Amino acid sequence: MKRGNEFLVGLVLLLAIAAVVGGALWLSEANIGKRETVHVARFRTVGGLTPGAPVTYRGVRVGRVEAIRLADLFVEADLKIYTGVDLPARPAVIAASQSLFGEWAATIVPRDQPQDDPNVRLMLDETARPGGDRWPGATLPDVGQLTAQAGRIATDIAAVAARVQSTFDSSAVTELRQSIKDFGAITNQLVRFTQSQTSRLNQVTGNVERTSEAVLGASQHLDATLARVDSATAGGQLQAILDNAAAGSGDLRQASADLRDILSKVRAEDQSIVRSLIAVDSVLTGIQAGQGTLGLLAKNPALHNEAVETMQEMRRLIADIQANPRKYFKFSVF
Amino acid sequence: MPIFTTAVEPGLPARVVTRVGRSAVTAARALADVRTWLPHLVPQMRRLGVDSVPIALFIATFTGIVLALLSKYIFTGAVPLYFVGALVGKTIMMELGPVLTGLALAGRVGANIAAEVGTMRVTEQVDALETLAYNPNSYLVVPRVLAGVLMFPVITALAILLGVVAGWITAVNLLDLSTLEFVKGLKLFYKFKDIWFGLIKAASFGAAVTLAGCLMGLRTSGGAEGVGRNTTRAVVLGCEAILVLDAFWALVLL
Repeated sequence: MKRGNEFLVGLVLLLAIAAVVGGALWLSEANIGKRETVHVARFRTVGGLTPGAPVTYRGVRVGRVEAIRLADLFVEADLKIYTGVDLPARPAVIAASQSLFGEWAATIVPRDQPQDDPNVRLMLDETARPGGDRWPGATLPDVGQLTAQAGRIATDIAAVAARVQSTFDSSAVTELRQSIKDFGAITNQLVRFTQSQTSRLNQVTGNVERTSEAVLGASQHLDATLARVDSATAGGQLQAILDNAAAGSGDLRQASADLRDILSKVRAEDQSIVRSLIAVDSVLTGIQAGQGTLGLLAKNPALHNEAVETMQEMRRLIADIQANPRKYFKFSVF
Repeated sequence: MPIFTTAVEPGLPARVVTRVGRSAVTAARALADVRTWLPHLVPQMRRLGVDSVPIALFIATFTGIVLALLSKYIFTGAVPLYFVGALVGKTIMMELGPVLTGLALAGRVGANIAAEVGTMRVTEQVDALETLAYNPNSYLVVPRVLAGVLMFPVITALAILLGVVAGWITAVNLLDLSTLEFVKGLKLFYKFKDIWFGLIKAASFGAAVTLAGCLMGLRTSGGAEGVGRNTTRAVVLGCEAILVLDAFWALVLL
């Protein structure tokens, strides 16, 4: 009986121990016999990440979160990673909720992999800044935070809807209808204006088309003219013109030089010229004063009239002589 | 100032402290008398523990079935069905496994101990032990309490295992849930603390139930009527102690 008691008690004890140990290992997905390496990830905050949470890489579980502790301005999490896992060269860790029900996991991503979320990039940069062998980490918002944000947005929308409802009364409806009618009238006017502008635009287009044709004709004439000029100058005429122009230019330079010589000579003779001018001036002064024959002729109208009449008589005489030479000249040889 | 003097009756605090000290000294003496209680430990483990396994497993099996069906009823809609595994696992490991097993054993073991020791008390067998220079605490109390402390977690562990298996079988066969989904839910929120939390509670329940049975048994007086009365008191006290300790451990360990 005593041995039977001991056997039964021992059997029950062993069964219970096997159930507890085996169940615990199975449920915790412990890897008996597999070695693990510990890496430390640095976060600004770990959110809902807790010890025991899975660590995944490209969706595959590669370890678990062993411990979480505060470290200066950051939070450090020890990640136990199964040995043999081919991790990225520069790993980073993103803690995020796996579902709507609060399960969190740490996901290993390559640090070089571009992150769409600017907040994640910011957190990774911040946690990477202190350096060392810590992996930079970032935390995505919790589902609760997103839900709270959505709740705030919904509240705001409800407030806006309430304001719209209070503003949008019957008078607003009437005004809106009137606005729609006005808008219809404006639209009709706009259509008419557009049609008239379209017809004008068509006319302008026609004019432009004709002008273009005229320009085309002018261009053709110009081409022909240029062709003629080209043919006209093909025989060296242009060269001859240029040569002539060069010769003319040389002559002009020569004339200019001559003129410069004359001017220099004039400058040399300016004393005698001055004297001559003084003399001419005294003569003109005398004439102006009515002195001498020319002065009298210039000043005395009677003398001028006599002179005119004399000249007239002289013309008549010459005309008469031309008309009747024999009246005045007689030649007899024999 | 002395706590009490020979001339003045001691106050309540002094009496409480005196009783606690006396109980501690008595317990230490009883525990130190290993040669007296050790031969009775295994038979008590067999009587209190092994013989209680069927009733504990019976309760755990139907608890697992009912939990699976209830969770299916609760989770209809937004919550994914694999949470049945999480609910069954967490609930049985942390609460229903230890508490229901403890309550069942409080009825079976507590009543057994109170009736046995009470009968020994009213038939003056306890006095006979003292006459034979046996410490009745070493002979009667220590092996039962140690057996309770050791075997309650064992029975609870087996009950947890069978409860989860029953929930799994129910989920697969009655709830259109695959084994993989159930296991996924079971592992989803699992922590090692879930198991040892339940086992620590079970050990404390074992100590409370056996102590209540021994205490009520040793205080029995008044013949068969007193035995019945104190047996009932032992069961009630054991159940109350379980519920109080359950709340205490939840406050302390969670």
